[in-house]
Amino acid sequence: MSPVCEMAAPFIANAAVDGSEIFRPFRAHSSSCLKCQARHAAMARTARELASLHDHRFAAPADLEWRVMASLEGELAVSRTWTKPLAWSAAAVSMAAILIWRLRPKTS
Amino acid sequence: MGNPPDPSQVERDRERELITRAQGGDRSAFAALVREHQDEVYTLARRLVGDPHLASDVAQEALIRAWRALSKFRGDARLSTWLYRITVNTAWTHKQRAGRHQGTSIDDHHELAAPIDASHPETAGEILELRGRLRVALDRLPDAQREVVVLKDIYGWSHAEIAESMDISVTAAKVRLHRARARLARDLEETA
Repeated sequence: MSPVCEMAAPFIANAAVDGSEIFRPFRAHSSSCLKCQARHAAMARTARELASLHDHRFAAPADLEWRVMASLEGELAVSRTWTKPLAWSAAAVSMAAILIWRLRPKTS
Repeated sequence: MGNPPDPSQVERDRERELITRAQGGDRSAFAALVREHQDEVYTLARRLVGDPHLASDVAQEALIRAWRALSKFRGDARLSTWLYRITVNTAWTHKQRAGRHQGTSIDDHHELAAPIDASHPETAGEILELRGRLRVALDRLPDAQREVVVLKDIYGWSHAEIAESMDISVTAAKVRLHRARARLARDLEETA
């Protein structure tokens, strides 16, 4: 195999997948090289197989929807659990601060 | 009498309505969206990370992230495209967290059983054989290279879309793809 074939290989692979022309410096070589033409054909076939996978879908696990919705419910429950005590604590601290300020000993 | 409504338009309108309701906090509307898109999200996750259990976790997290970010969804892109982006980012985060996962497979035996297009000149045996080699070659690609091949050559994303979702420049995405395809071709040739 010639060194030119090796240098041309990545460009041939790209051209075959994209359906574009081979990078100009390697065009003349690949048009007369059976090895490069075989590589082009093989990669074009691979590209078709890759593209055909697009329409094939795996079925999601049966419990995926349940797990997602349960997580969201869990988040909501956690936020419900934490927000109320936090709000009450904040209110209590504020009230205490106001009382301390009002009842502080006057220094005339 | 007017023409019957276009089914795809009806579908789009229905989805838009579900999105609006979900954005307003309606969880049953979001559950309907999950049912609609979970296979797509899971399939992409499976192709990106390989392992079915990890893919399931990625899909779950991606859908939860989607719920949290749904208020930011403006409808400029299709919902499935938006979900794909979230899935790619989630898969990336998982892989960074877990390190290089073991036994990844973009294309396992289940996918090898995908229908064979009879219009191709190759025989079914040749196509199955190619799929087997393709699976091995894709497994061998480094994660970042496999991602660009999946997104470009299976999902048909543009270089710009890939660059955006992977947080790299368009040039870097092109270079990565170029290298990935070259490596794929080389590996396929070696296993031929």
